[in-house]
Amino acid sequence: MMGNLVKAESRKIITTKSWWILLIPSVAFALAFALFWGAITNDLNDYLGSSDARELAGLLGISLGELPVGLLALAHGVNIGTIFPIIFGVFALAGEYSKKTITTTFLTAPNRGSALTAKMLTYIGFGAIYGLVIVGAASLGTVLTVDERGLPTAGQWLGVLGAGILATVLATLFGIGVGAVWNSVVGSVITLTIWMLIVENVLVFVSFGWLDITWLGGVLPNGTLNGIVGAIGAEAFGAAGLSVPGELDEDLQWLLQYTAGAPGAFAWWVSAAIFLAWTMVFFLAGWAANQRRDIT
Amino acid sequence: MHDGSGRIAVQNLTKRFGAVAAVQNLSFTVEPGSVTGFLGPNGAGKTTTLRMLLGLVTPTSGAATINGRPHHQLGNPARVVGAVLENEGFHPKRTARNHLRVYASAIGVPDRRADELLGLVGLSSAADRKAGEYSLGMRQRLALATALLGDPQVLVLDEPANGLDPEGIAWLRSFLRSFAQQGRTVLVSSHLLSEVEQTIDQVVIISAGMTRYYGPLEQLRQSQTSRVLVQPADAGELVKALQEAGFTQLEPTPDGRVAVSGATVKEIGDLAAKAGIAVYGMQEDRADLERLFFQLTAGQFSTGQAPYGQQPPPGAWAPPPGYQPPQPGHPGYQGQQGYPPPPQGYQQPQGQQQGWGGQA
Ligand SMILES: Nc1ncnc2c1ncn2[C@@H]1O[C@H](COP(=O)(O)OP(=O)(O)OP(=O)(O)O)[C@@H](O)[C@H]1O
Ligand SMILES: [Mg+2]
Repeated sequence: MMGNLVKAESRKIITTKSWWILLIPSVAFALAFALFWGAITNDLNDYLGSSDARELAGLLGISLGELPVGLLALAHGVNIGTIFPIIFGVFALAGEYSKKTITTTFLTAPNRGSALTAKMLTYIGFGAIYGLVIVGAASLGTVLTVDERGLPTAGQWLGVLGAGILATVLATLFGIGVGAVWNSVVGSVITLTIWMLIVENVLVFVSFGWLDITWLGGVLPNGTLNGIVGAIGAEAFGAAGLSVPGELDEDLQWLLQYTAGAPGAFAWWVSAAIFLAWTMVFFLAGWAANQRRDIT
Repeated sequence: MHDGSGRIAVQNLTKRFGAVAAVQNLSFTVEPGSVTGFLGPNGAGKTTTLRMLLGLVTPTSGAATINGRPHHQLGNPARVVGAVLENEGFHPKRTARNHLRVYASAIGVPDRRADELLGLVGLSSAADRKAGEYSLGMRQRLALATALLGDPQVLVLDEPANGLDPEGIAWLRSFLRSFAQQGRTVLVSSHLLSEVEQTIDQVVIISAGMTRYYGPLEQLRQSQTSRVLVQPADAGELVKALQEAGFTQLEPTPDGRVAVSGATVKEIGDLAAKAGIAVYGMQEDRADLERLFFQLTAGQFSTGQAPYGQQPPPGAWAPPPGYQPPQPGHPGYQGQQGYPPPPQGYQQPQGQQQGWGGQA
């Protein structure tokens, strides 16, 4: 039964264009951001290799000029890309409400819970496709711009790939949840985009600059979503996760995390767990709303 | 699991949307093997009732079941009940064939079923066009094809003739009849009795969210007395004479005649002769279902209007709360109202050929 519903959901996706249309900006932005950050991270490595950075070198305990700064480019590419699987997720349910196809969907499923479960399973698969494509685009941007000494190891890259897919899968489910709660494609997409790209960054910056709060980016949705991949880069510099060297100044740590695209982030798996919690909050609220909602 | 009976049961169903009581304490059953009409004027609560039956709207109280179960307990529901609903949604960019294939896979029927049904509803040549480009009638056909995907035992249709051309209407009519003749159940809503009169055997009439009549259409037809339309030289004199003789069910007709209920042509003729009133013509007016329907459902927007005509057939009548039996008296002349205007689209019966168009 669930197999049938998953097949139906997959057909719904591939018989319309939005899934691949949204892949276009995913690729474009991931590539562009990786190119941009790749270009400036070479300078970072040059800076770290210079004598000015001796003090920092001591703190980090890594040979200078050889940092895998390519991880920063990768992380920024992937992070900007995750906005599109969120939008894709919004369409899953809110899109059905706006097109009124939700009626037939509910009439052909044993109950609303199974219809939603089938959507969740299907969108996990498509979320993973987004992850693969986005990590691919970001990787391309990275190798094109970052000098060989700054490229991550194969192990680190596989870590980014895994984390990137996890991030886009969760991002997709997060989008489904928000769309299920709010039930409006346009409203959800605009609000989420503004929140993820602007509002939250301002909040994190303001709270760091004025209130000296370093952890805010580590708990809010955008920060935790970015932290899944970003923390890998920050961790490589010893700026995130459990292996924080005691000597590393808190402000410097935050700055390095920020450069990695994950200000305030904890270890990648902590970020993933917190973002999963955000996803569950919206998903369960959306689930509850859909059990009761009148389709008139 | 469900009992496979094909029976629809609605029990004390009530739905409130905030302050609006869309459906109030509605009860009826629909048996398999017949086509049941679900009739009521605009806003009577038909769509809301059907959507509650299909699990799309949660009742405030009461229950609506198919095969003894609420919709979410039917297992694979589309195999039990198919539905054609008002302003049903299709993704405007998805082709009709893809639309049907999506739901064919959800129900678990093979893809070829999609093409079979496109053929059945006459959309084969438009199968690869986007649903958003479809006309109203084409969308209605596609909705019917969707409803039939799971080869259901029960078919629920909300104003299915909406947008159909006469050929489509005639086709739908015979389709529904043959569907019911296979021992399946059909519940079809309409706000025009004439539209479904030739298709249905049973009828549920609601108004303002309440049941007004529920039973065989034939019984409703028989319950209606005939009237005599009299064309006298002096209507006022004739009315006076009739009233004095105890005939009080009198109404004026728009063309200046007097409609007399509860009296025979002979009685009226004798009376007119005795009173010395010239009568230029008398005509027996057969039971007119549309008028009865109209009067059963009138008063939704203006309260206090009692249903017209006879007491309804015993057993078939579900007196709604607040229902008042017809007052003996003189509604026509005193109310200066006469017959309410016929509903839109209504035509004087000419040998029973109005309705869904074409010949059945
Ligand atoms: N979602 C809703 N919110 C508020 N009121 C509603 C809603 N849906 C229906 N109603 C109200 O419930 C009443 C019954 O509406 P319904 O659509 O069931 O009538 P209907 O018999 O199908 O009418 P029609 O012949 O026009 O299709 C109306 O007063 C309508 O305004
Ligand atoms: Mg309606």
